[in-house]
Amino acid sequence: MKHLPKHLRPRWRYLAVELEAWPDAGVRRGEFQRAVWFAAANLLGDPGSADADLRVVEYSFRDGAGEALVRARRGEVDRARAALACVSEVRGDPVRVAVRGVSGTMRAAEENYLGETAEPSREDDVAFGGGGERSGVARGERVDVDDAGSWVGATRRDHG
Amino acid sequence: MYEAVHAHPEGESTAARLAVTAASDGYDGVVVRNWRDAEPERDRDSVSDEAGVDVVTGAELSVTDRSQASGRIRSVRGEVTVLAARADSPDTNRFVAESERVDVLASPMAGGGDVNHVVVKAARDHGVRLEFDLSRVLRESGGDRVQALRGLRKLRELVEHYDAPFVVSARPASHLHVRAPRELVAVGEELGFTESQIRAGLGEWTHLAARNRRLRSEDFIAPGVERGRYEEDA
Repeated sequence: MKHLPKHLRPRWRYLAVELEAWPDAGVRRGEFQRAVWFAAANLLGDPGSADADLRVVEYSFRDGAGEALVRARRGEVDRARAALACVSEVRGDPVRVAVRGVSGTMRAAEENYLGETAEPSREDDVAFGGGGERSGVARGERVDVDDAGSWVGATRRDHG
Repeated sequence: MYEAVHAHPEGESTAARLAVTAASDGYDGVVVRNWRDAEPERDRDSVSDEAGVDVVTGAELSVTDRSQASGRIRSVRGEVTVLAARADSPDTNRFVAESERVDVLASPMAGGGDVNHVVVKAARDHGVRLEFDLSRVLRESGGDRVQALRGLRKLRELVEHYDAPFVVSARPASHLHVRAPRELVAVGEELGFTESQIRAGLGEWTHLAARNRRLRSEDFIAPGVERGRYEEDA
């Protein structure tokens, strides 16, 4: 099909979002996209969800943290924000989706808001809760501690 | 604006991690709803220094039996800055709404809870804040969520009609549950709240913390008796 003339093409806004999960979560792009559509349809209904027209246009995720660009129609940014806030898990893995910023072009969104995720490091000698040493995954000041099979979110200074 | 959280061991993240996450989302502080068992080792100032936001001690009592509740409310009141109580029936909701020592009637529509005009008026007259609990809207789906939405709508209509005081919270029990104020505003607007209502509800925690700290400070010699400007230390 022939492209629409420029003045008739939809205008987009790009939401730069930060993804956070437990370190053993493997959240793939397609699964995240489905979770976004599901959240939008549940909160906004089918018409609202079609209006917002949310699409994941850029995605990276590794070791429980990642970033994505989500495209929404201009004028629907607040509804897109609401739908993203309701994404609480992706295929059973709890996730946190935080909007870092909104831009009118992908390039501006990437330059201004993406590329800030700290590199993770695995540590095997985290002292936590007086129960001896545990293994954990640290990202800057934030540490996820493996507490007998379940994760506990902590910080470096929690370990005294 | 503050968020009121459940920290480890009740929740899945420590108070410090929740505070760090709230700070990155633009909150000015957190109220830890289970302070007494959450932070046996670290003191409030060290958590607050680390996160760069205010940390407020809090407690959330679960009220199931009116006869024992008064004593527990009285004993916990002096230990924390913000005291919330959660009831499990319309009857206990009313009891909490009439307890002046309680700051917040937490999640009044959850479980077997319900409110009516009597409860909301009692809460207004006794200065008890009613909590708009967004947790199930953010984290449940299907029928549970519809029920939560129905409860929020009913509570909102009553609160607006009687101009009762309220707080708003996503009730995070893990740092993954924390959502920024702007996100909560966006969700609230989809549910029929106004932006200013959500912001006022998040700001009410700030106000409660500041007010209670002042009332509990050394400036108050006895309830209602404040040290004046001209007092000299003898």
